[in-house]
Amino acid sequence: MGEIRQIAIYGKGGIGKSTTTQNLTAGLIEHGKKVMVVGCDPKADSTRLLLGGLAQKTVLDTIRDEGEDIELDRIMREGFGGTRCVESGGPEPGVGCAGRGIITSINMLENLGAYTDDLDYVFYDVLGDVVCGGFAMPIREGKAKEIYIVASGEMMALYAANNIAKGIKRYARTGGVRLGGIICNSRNVDRELDLLRAFAKELGTQLLYFVPRDNIVQRAEINKKTVIEYKPDSAQAQEYRNLAEAVINNTNFAIPTPMTQERLEEILFEFGLMEDDYQI
Amino acid sequence: MAKLLDKQRYKCALGAMQTVQAIDRAIPILHSGPGCAQKLSDSIGSSGYFSPNIFPCTSINEKDVVFGGVKKLDTTIENALKVIDADFFVVLSGCIPEIVGDDTGDVVGRYQDEGKPIVYASTAGFKGNNYKGHEQVIDAIVEQYLEKSDEKEEGLVNIWADVPYQDLFWLGNIRELEKLLREIGLKPNAIFGYKNGIENIKKIPKAQFNLLVSPWVSLTNVKKMERKFGTPYLHYPTLPIGAYETSKFLRTVGEFAGVDKEKVEAVINEHENYYYYLIERYADMFLETRVMAKQFSVVADAQYALGITKFLVNDLGLFPAKQFVSDDTPKQYREKIAEEFKNLNYGIEAEVSFENDGYKIHNEIREHDYHGYPLILGSYYEKEVTNELSGHYLNISWPVQDKVVLDDFYVGYTGGIRLIEDIYSVAVQRWN
Repeated sequence: MGEIRQIAIYGKGGIGKSTTTQNLTAGLIEHGKKVMVVGCDPKADSTRLLLGGLAQKTVLDTIRDEGEDIELDRIMREGFGGTRCVESGGPEPGVGCAGRGIITSINMLENLGAYTDDLDYVFYDVLGDVVCGGFAMPIREGKAKEIYIVASGEMMALYAANNIAKGIKRYARTGGVRLGGIICNSRNVDRELDLLRAFAKELGTQLLYFVPRDNIVQRAEINKKTVIEYKPDSAQAQEYRNLAEAVINNTNFAIPTPMTQERLEEILFEFGLMEDDYQI
Repeated sequence: MAKLLDKQRYKCALGAMQTVQAIDRAIPILHSGPGCAQKLSDSIGSSGYFSPNIFPCTSINEKDVVFGGVKKLDTTIENALKVIDADFFVVLSGCIPEIVGDDTGDVVGRYQDEGKPIVYASTAGFKGNNYKGHEQVIDAIVEQYLEKSDEKEEGLVNIWADVPYQDLFWLGNIRELEKLLREIGLKPNAIFGYKNGIENIKKIPKAQFNLLVSPWVSLTNVKKMERKFGTPYLHYPTLPIGAYETSKFLRTVGEFAGVDKEKVEAVINEHENYYYYLIERYADMFLETRVMAKQFSVVADAQYALGITKFLVNDLGLFPAKQFVSDDTPKQYREKIAEEFKNLNYGIEAEVSFENDGYKIHNEIREHDYHGYPLILGSYYEKEVTNELSGHYLNISWPVQDKVVLDDFYVGYTGGIRLIEDIYSVAVQRWN
């Protein structure tokens, strides 16, 4: 067995990180890989499609109710194709410190021996922007060495992606973390593919994969399933298999070169996003 | 750039639990980790009203960080109110709840709505040291517990002077200031010290004016009271030690309060007669104690550095070397305080350094030529460097390891005599 590839998925809130991560995971499972998904969002909805619902009790809820002397199977559930699913969870909105919660729960996972040698991949699905040190936990201390940013052709998604790249650059020097590329979760914006390619190039990375928009993803979500499980023969299922393959074969890991706000706006302008009639 | 701070002479803002301990029948409730409480309680130096080590504390841990500590705070307050027989409760919040964003005000507010005698002060360590924490506690009392009073009591004067326990002479000083004010016909009202509890707190808004005896600590408090209660304030920046400054102090206070001049002069006269009787009686001792230093340095907070410098120059005729203010005085006050050090008799001016790094202070002391044995009045940290220089050393500021003080004091005429006794006691022991 080789080293576990620990991967953190970042991106603007609502961009489709959880959906992409879980569908990608299903693709990897089909390739015979062993995968663990760690949801790092207080909303605890990162493993819903793999588990067929939100039945999971989060690590932090468990610690709160039962203390720290617990067994691994209290916080880890098996989902689609033997995927190991963990939800960090967090405090109620408006109280406590969710960032510290992520640190606590990842430490807990380590102490309980969740990172077994038979794993091929561990995914950290992290909420929105990296607002504080806690949300950078997966890329600190050499945990996730690989990052993918989920983005679309919308300005705010790219703005967030650029910001996240700043965080990655910070930890690249000390923690050895690298950006593996941008995954486009398409919103059918004009010239989206060209824009994302140009953006990725400017960021010193690649557009790893372009996932087209397809309403089957929403239908699968309503049915609490990944697309691969819901409609294995659909074109979209094949897209996610291709994405999985792109991740497996990826060798392009870079320290990102985040751009200034002015440069970002220049690129957007170049690809027509800043024109008056542009609408999201 | 970060640097190393050597021999710091204060605690973090949560050290304001000392301020609460100095109020009779008041108790602090700490919203902090257990370590903060333990470390700070060790340095109080007295039992306070209750105990230096027994007080309610939420003792928050990682779980409270993640989920917020307000529930624990709520039950801690609820139970403290049930089992502790106290007149006044002050919730002090430390770094952790302040970073996590616990809404301490909301929790405490519910008890205030029920009419419980409780306030809260935000005393996170990152907000500053315990001098600032002391101000925060007074601010909490003014802001949350007291209301403007239409009724003003002629002659009633609130006294704000020392930071209790940080200043080891705080109790004696307060009592002496109260005594002096009483003698010129005023009614002193201090909230710290013997029999000065909740009833005195309630009287604050009725005062004719606030008397602040301090270079900077509590200036924000008296300004707030001026806005909220319409109470004017007299800011007297020098702690009056010895006859010269104390007489000046009494004249200034008397004039501000509208006290009959003759009455003030009579009080001054009586005190000065006795003061100079002692000085005359011991004139030979002053003259013949030839090992006595000619030059001195004080290493203390602004209050003591300034008060003692003025006393040693104006009353004892010593010459000031550099003086060190080690309380991390906020920058906006420094210029005015430095000016006060130039305002000495005989045209003498003292150079002052706002420095809280012991290493730098000690190097400057080592490098200065004191023209004989140096006299160093400072914290316990200055003992070693003074010994190195075969100087005379007196422990007058925190940290204190060299003496036990219950109610000794240096304020006023009597306090000046006590300071002379202490300094000369050191000098006469040189050849023992």
